Amino acid sequence: MPEQYDIVADKLTKSYGKFTAVDRISFEVPRGSVVGFLGPNGAGKTTTIRMLTCFMPPTSGSARVAGHDVFYESMAVRQKIGYLPESTPLYLEMRVGEYLTYRGKLRGMGRADLKKAIGHVTDMCWLSDRLRWPIGKLSKGYRQRLGIADALLHNPPVLVLDEPTVGLDPSQIRETRKLIGNLAGQHTVLLSTHILSEVELICQRVVIIGRGKILAQGTPDELKSGSRTGDKARLLVDVRGPTAQVKSALAALPGVQEITVVSDGPVCSLQLTGRVDGALREQVAALVLQRGWALRELRSGGMSLEEFFVQIIDPGASSAA
Amino acid sequence: MSQIFTLAKRELGGLFYSPIGYIVLALYLLFVGLLFSLMVLRPGQIADPGPMFLWNHLILIFLVPFMTMAIFSEEYRSGRIETLRTSPLGEMSIVLGKFLGAMGFYLGLIGSSLAFVIILSFFGRPDYMPVLTSYLGLVLMGGLMVSIGLFFSACTQHQVLAAMSSCIVLVALGILFQFIPQFLTAFIRHSWSWLAVVKHTMSYLAIEPHMVDFSRGIIATQNVVFFLSGTLLFLFLTYVVLETRKWR
Repeated sequence: MPEQYDIVADKLTKSYGKFTAVDRISFEVPRGSVVGFLGPNGAGKTTTIRMLTCFMPPTSGSARVAGHDVFYESMAVRQKIGYLPESTPLYLEMRVGEYLTYRGKLRGMGRADLKKAIGHVTDMCWLSDRLRWPIGKLSKGYRQRLGIADALLHNPPVLVLDEPTVGLDPSQIRETRKLIGNLAGQHTVLLSTHILSEVELICQRVVIIGRGKILAQGTPDELKSGSRTGDKARLLVDVRGPTAQVKSALAALPGVQEITVVSDGPVCSLQLTGRVDGALREQVAALVLQRGWALRELRSGGMSLEEFFVQIIDPGASSAA
Repeated sequence: MSQIFTLAKRELGGLFYSPIGYIVLALYLLFVGLLFSLMVLRPGQIADPGPMFLWNHLILIFLVPFMTMAIFSEEYRSGRIETLRTSPLGEMSIVLGKFLGAMGFYLGLIGSSLAFVIILSFFGRPDYMPVLTSYLGLVLMGGLMVSIGLFFSACTQHQVLAAMSSCIVLVALGILFQFIPQFLTAFIRHSWSWLAVVKHTMSYLAIEPHMVDFSRGIIATQNVVFFLSGTLLFLFLTYVVLETRKWR
């Protein structure tokens, strides 16, 4: 029976004594997609991932990975999952090729398959020129690539990457993202991170978790537009003209609920809040020109994923900001 | 099955790559060399390497804990336990693989003492059968020591703590249980008092009495059973510790 989803979590729960780290979370990861798993530190991301990768059993609830139950068919799940843990733990005294051979043999791969697979993953992760290097001598970026190469080695349908870009420099981050982007389609990827731009760049779907619960899920665009403050979007206008007159003129436009002066001077900057849509932007532009002022900038201050994230994680903080 | 050997090979490699492995090896050779030159290689003495083997455990109880301390502790500390435990192999295979790897190093360790047997063969004609049984005894005893070390290493992520705990247990088995019973005898009034039970248990658990026969060229079933059952017990306990850790 072909399943549409490669990862299905159903009321997954993990408690440590009285503390519930993950509280009845349910989500799905469609086959072949890259899904971002977002949350602040301590939200339960790693705990969830550890349950999905069979590192620890759930307290209650269940999860299926690549069609197998993580508790009852743990070995089958392990064969079908490639996992990069948060700290990219490696044996520093081993050489790159040696380590990949060791990992492949642990997974029961045959000699010929393994040789081919090592060639493939080292090409893919730009590691071919480092095969004979001791891992301890590799930079953080190369170690991260080796961790990903290890996760890819047995060509698993499902990849789980826990914060793969932490501690890398900007160019390495870009390379790693490109690599993960290339994996979409052939692999189902669950990418845990707390870097939001990363999610917008490479993820088709986002699952946001906070204090052990799922707070939101959907595509990044859905989350941004369908936010709870849909009718409180903002528009930023920079106009050269007398501040007071500009303010009163703009306040009279339909749909504007609130107007605040961000900065005063020969060029004033105003922020409009209300039902801001395309029509309003056109009206603002027309009005400014009609009055003979100069329009410097007209920018829709729609909600960024970051704002949405902050708002959903901590509803109290966003109103104060 | 082949995965167990893959794991064992890596563990063995890890020990040979680490400075600890070489320090253990050097200290072992130093102290066995002392035993050899003080007790075996003396003018006018029979060419019998027996004493060298009989007192071997006094060296090993201090060295084996350092050999085994990192086996699980370091995996926990570095987080490599995650890649290991999410690989498609069961806890039993992990325990056996690590055990065999450490035993491989241990065999190399006691094998290095063959050098002294060779030296002895230049000066006299020792009886080689007791040498063979002594090595058998050392291997069986090593199984027990390594499995004890493995167990304590699986209990904690702190290497030093693992080394100290296994060292305490091995010193108890190797030295304390040898002498405490003699001391207790004075306080025992009748043969079924609890003190007598403690005394007999300790005497039974002491390592040395089980090694005497081996060094004389005797393979006694009771000694083989003692070491093998102890090894299996601690391997099982290690497995239990690994299994329970994931439920916490």
